[in-house]
Amino acid sequence: MTRRHVGICLIALALLSASVSAGADIVVVVSARSAITSLSKSQLGDVFLGRMSRLPDGGVAVPIDQAEGSAARDEFYKSLFGRSAAQMKAYWSRIIFTGRGQPPRTVADGLEMRKIIAANPASIGYIDAGLVDDSVRVLQ
Amino acid sequence: MYIEPADRMRPRLRRLRCRAAIIPVLLCASAGAAYGDDAPATPMFSFGGFGTAGVVHSSIDAADFVADSLEGSGAGYSRRWSAAVDSLLGLQVTATINTQLSAVLQVISEQNYDKNFSPHVEWANIKYQFTPDFSVRVGRTAQPAFMVTDSRNVGYANPWVRPPVEVYNLDPVTSNDGIDLSYRMPIGAATNTLQFTAGRSDFSVPGSGPDGGGGVASHQQLLLDDTLEQGFATLRVSYLHSRITVAAFEPLFAAFAQFGAQGIAVTNEYDANDRPASFGSVSLAYDPGSWFAMGEWGRLDTSSIAGDKSGWYLSGGYRYSQITAFATYGDTNTSTNRSVTALNPAGLPPALAAAAYALNGALNSALEDIPVQDTISIGARWDFMKNFDLKLQIDHTRLGAGSYGALENVQPGFHLGSTVNVFSSTIDFVF
Repeated sequence: MTRRHVGICLIALALLSASVSAGADIVVVVSARSAITSLSKSQLGDVFLGRMSRLPDGGVAVPIDQAEGSAARDEFYKSLFGRSAAQMKAYWSRIIFTGRGQPPRTVADGLEMRKIIAANPASIGYIDAGLVDDSVRVLQ
Repeated sequence: MYIEPADRMRPRLRRLRCRAAIIPVLLCASAGAAYGDDAPATPMFSFGGFGTAGVVHSSIDAADFVADSLEGSGAGYSRRWSAAVDSLLGLQVTATINTQLSAVLQVISEQNYDKNFSPHVEWANIKYQFTPDFSVRVGRTAQPAFMVTDSRNVGYANPWVRPPVEVYNLDPVTSNDGIDLSYRMPIGAATNTLQFTAGRSDFSVPGSGPDGGGGVASHQQLLLDDTLEQGFATLRVSYLHSRITVAAFEPLFAAFAQFGAQGIAVTNEYDANDRPASFGSVSLAYDPGSWFAMGEWGRLDTSSIAGDKSGWYLSGGYRYSQITAFATYGDTNTSTNRSVTALNPAGLPPALAAAAYALNGALNSALEDIPVQDTISIGARWDFMKNFDLKLQIDHTRLGAGSYGALENVQPGFHLGSTVNVFSSTIDFVF
């Protein structure tokens, strides 16, 4: 195999993995110290749309978002609610400009999100599956 | 209307402005007092805003198409292409003093009853969050009579250029000066939010008073609203009761009352002086992301010259990437008889008979003001860049027989019951 072939293979592999991670590699995580092990899609939706502040077990749920325009954030809302970044912005505009609430706190990237989630058992967020370590727990 | 509104309307409106000005002062004082406490997790002050730049064209030049009945001018008679119908700018500051206490001040510049764009305080309230699910707000808040009443000014939040006039024109009261309680609880897999507001609202509609307006007062205003949300579905019902006074009609009914028993009977039936009014609405929406469908129905009963009227609409849209195509059908009607013989001139001396004819004419022209119309709208929204959208919309409106619908500034020669086509284009933004 020539060096050129290796290069093509690496590019193909990169493209392949890029398309996979754009599909389903975002996972929902809580602190490893949290008691929660699973949440239904609708419960997760209620938490991130600001409709629910307590989980059915009584625990407080504090959603955290990644930065606006980040691939992880766009992918999370697209796969969970079928909504684009613009649709989520429209949703929160309706709530912010009536003074009824504020969107989730935002962190810069997946690494910062993992750090904050690990330290706060009440928080819920989403990160790239590749960033998961033993400080956080992936929800089913 | 060519009837002079009562002069005492003016001091009332001035008082309103003073009250609104007190709230920001209180807000700053309490924010100052909180400074030095533990730093909150969120910034103390957050600023934001929204706006719309738009133009509207109407096929009819003998009347104005307006977005709501509070606007002094529109597209058609005042201007063939009007930028004043939809354009507006809103600024909001939110102060988060601690996890329980916050305050909101929102100021909007949009076309007023007197055609100028002088800003007004849309919301100014202090919120105390007793628990994450129970809050109380004091000050000026939204009057959530419809599904999107509280965000009707935020074009970016809505699919259409403007909410369907057949329903949103039924009740022009959008704010409440008073208290607002909100309680949220889960019901099965759904979230239920119960909201109660009590207070009053004073505002001006276009008129012929010394300041170009006529005062409308909605007092002893009580509203109960329940919203049930589950997944992509939202159901809400709302009921509002208040006592309304439309100052512009007072001289007309004072004149009727001079005609003895039959005049007093007309006044008792039609006058809009501290008249009990009720408004109910039901809304349903389903939005799974790639498409949406929603509908609303509302009914206003005033038992007065302001009319008993109802309206509904159905709207749906489909989203292809950044483009949303939508269509809406809306209809509004009234159960108030819009052609009445109030005073019987027979047997009156000629001078009084002429006055009776004139008063009957004035009453009927006011009753014609109750809109009867239906509209088919099609349009598209393009989210062409972050925080901006571009919308195009065409409305085809058929006015009911003997009605000029929701049009304003109707000129001599206008054909009652005609058809109007309206083209609108807007750019909406949030920041």
